[in-house]
Amino acid sequence: MFLKPLRFGTLAVYTQLLVRRYLSTRIIPLIAVAAVGLCVALVVIVVSVMSGFLDNLRASGRTLMGDVVISYPVQGIPYYKEFIADVLKLPGAAAATPLVDTYGLLRMPYPGGPNKDVVTAQVWAIEPETFAQVTELDRTIWWKPAASPQEALAMAEDDPRRQQDLSGLYEDAKVLRDRATGRPGALLGMHVSVVNQRQRDGSYRPRNSTWWMPNHEITVTLVPISEKGTVSQSNSRVFKVVNEVMSGVFQVDKNRVFIPLKEGQELLRLDEAPIVDTTAVPDASGNYPVIGTSPARVTQILVRAKDGVTPDELRVQVAEAYEQFDLQKSADPNVRTRPPAAEYVSIMTWEQRLRDLIAPVEKERQMMRILFSITYLVCAGLILAIFWSIVSEKTRDIGILRAIGASRMGVLWIFLRYGLTIGMVGSGVGIALAWLVIRNINAIHMALGNDAPPWLYVTFFLLAAGSAALTVRALTRSRILSVLLWTVATLALVGIGTGLVLHRGFLIWDPAVYYFATIPSEMDWGNAWITAVGAIVFSVLGAAVPAARAADIDPVRALRYE
Amino acid sequence: MTMHPHSTPPHAAEGVLLSACDVVRTYRMGRVEVPVLKSASIDVKPGEWVAILGSSGSGKSTLLHLLGGLDRADSGTVTFRGERVGGYSQSRLDRYRNEHIGFVFQFYHLLPELNVLENTLLPATIGIGRFEWMRRQGEIRDRARMLLERFGLSHRFRHRPAELSGGERQRVAIARALMHNPDVLLADEPTGNLDAKTGDTILDMIAEQHRAGLTVVMVTHDQWIAARADRTVHLVDGRVA
Repeated sequence: MFLKPLRFGTLAVYTQLLVRRYLSTRIIPLIAVAAVGLCVALVVIVVSVMSGFLDNLRASGRTLMGDVVISYPVQGIPYYKEFIADVLKLPGAAAATPLVDTYGLLRMPYPGGPNKDVVTAQVWAIEPETFAQVTELDRTIWWKPAASPQEALAMAEDDPRRQQDLSGLYEDAKVLRDRATGRPGALLGMHVSVVNQRQRDGSYRPRNSTWWMPNHEITVTLVPISEKGTVSQSNSRVFKVVNEVMSGVFQVDKNRVFIPLKEGQELLRLDEAPIVDTTAVPDASGNYPVIGTSPARVTQILVRAKDGVTPDELRVQVAEAYEQFDLQKSADPNVRTRPPAAEYVSIMTWEQRLRDLIAPVEKERQMMRILFSITYLVCAGLILAIFWSIVSEKTRDIGILRAIGASRMGVLWIFLRYGLTIGMVGSGVGIALAWLVIRNINAIHMALGNDAPPWLYVTFFLLAAGSAALTVRALTRSRILSVLLWTVATLALVGIGTGLVLHRGFLIWDPAVYYFATIPSEMDWGNAWITAVGAIVFSVLGAAVPAARAADIDPVRALRYE
Repeated sequence: MTMHPHSTPPHAAEGVLLSACDVVRTYRMGRVEVPVLKSASIDVKPGEWVAILGSSGSGKSTLLHLLGGLDRADSGTVTFRGERVGGYSQSRLDRYRNEHIGFVFQFYHLLPELNVLENTLLPATIGIGRFEWMRRQGEIRDRARMLLERFGLSHRFRHRPAELSGGERQRVAIARALMHNPDVLLADEPTGNLDAKTGDTILDMIAEQHRAGLTVVMVTHDQWIAARADRTVHLVDGRVA
């Protein structure tokens, strides 16, 4: 005997050989590979963009408001400096900053007309030094000197305003003051002013260089609200625009203005003020006697956690500290203005603050995953149908293999392995395609936003002409299938070409709706691998039924099969 | 009395390599049962060339399938070297076909996706595992090339079956059947699809293998072809006449 058979089944060489040949010599499996690839790419792209969106949301939440937010709107929290001192003693707190958060009106420097010269805005009155310790204010300041001459050149190409020395503006922004005159400064969100026109590539160009904000002043009007909830007379103040900020969160950049805390407190009458006895007899000037001082207040305190401390751990520590602070102030007979009771003060992590925003997106992502899981069933169904027909076509081959000694398990494994290979190759193609699309998603989006270049639709029309010629050739040869296929190809190419001619740029990702100026372009690799494994499993499941059928084929009947 | 499946049946004659004894095989065609083999017996001695001659529908291919372990008899026994083939487990039966039997069919039955060399190698790739293949593939490929060269196909190694003539295809099929150096070559109308001259060439090749010691069982309906064999068995209506 020349060869002694040793193995029958999965490790035999013929299964690999046949799978490779079936894949490389036939069109149908390539269609299955394409289908699996497209399904995988679809799921990976959609879920990656949504995951990126969630990550951005989370990252921006933390960078814009720190880890824990203590909030008591309108009337504010008195003795906040003492409380911040208590907070900074906590083991989990790295930094804390006071903040007044309110809404107000901005009178912009440019004239009205088509521009909105008076706009509503969310005004944050901050202490810039401590605010920068808690948030990443420094990172968001827009007008700052470039890190290198090359970067300066590139930035100046994007926006000519960057050609000038921006170091002064940057330093002014960090102290929120015009250092030359000592006047209070304001930081505007990049989209507050109509002057900054965002280009589709994400850069900004001045619509009108005269109205470059850092050269101008704005008037901020705030409306104080009394303890009884009534509106007092509004207060206005002029601020020199010292810089602009770009957080990447469209809603913030469109609405937020930063002013110094002291000015904010004064405008809202949250600053320190004397308490007078109105029941006493006024002096000769008509003033009542002063019996104490009402402390300055802030509506929020932002706290940043030390490294390794989770926002939740810090929140518990801060909540306990506030209870102690409240008890201490309540027990102090010299305190006339009690801080709000602990149960009325909101102490939340940044994630809890953004819960209303994050939770629906998380649910949508989960829903997308479930909905797109249906594509797995499509993959499995498609492979089942394709393999069923392949097994029918290969019945005689199966008989031949059995006659030569292939086992039923060997035949089963040929088709399972075939399905496995299609699943693996398809998943690989899908992940590669998804990676390419995600990496270039903003460029693709930008291209969609522009009119199609002439060379592109001309190419499609030329291809359509070639396809039409092949249709005619097939017609002369009376090949019905070829005529049909080339006609479909011609119509599709003409359709695409016409679509490109008629295409007028449109934007799908509207930053006003999706918060961020750019589409997240990071691949969610964890999800990608799970999707790929799912597609492979379902491909094998789809192949299992035809494979079992192949294994059950009677070799005698198979050899007689025509 | 129970008998061990591999034990020698009482009727097995001495010096018989392959035999069928009173085998019956009935096929079901829808609701109708069609008896193909009614009680056929044949003994094949080592090194013998036996021709099974019969008209269409006489059951000669079915008898060949039973001898080759492709099918199981409803009753009666098929023995190989005294062992009951019907008692083999499925995996032992697969190995029997791979190791001891070489099939040659009327319609060649080559796999269209594989080239000539790969078709010839097929029994070896089925019979051994990956590691054995990696260790011995040079030796195995050399044997396949040697067989193909001997059959005048040295220029066709990389060709697909569709690119070959009928005679060339049948020569590849014979090379494939001989790849594992089987004990018995079972040929089902090997020249049935060829012209007379090409058929003669194929028969010459089989005769050459027979002279080298190979046992051959050949099914044919042509008595002139059957005349090339050492012995002819006539099959009429499912019985050996």
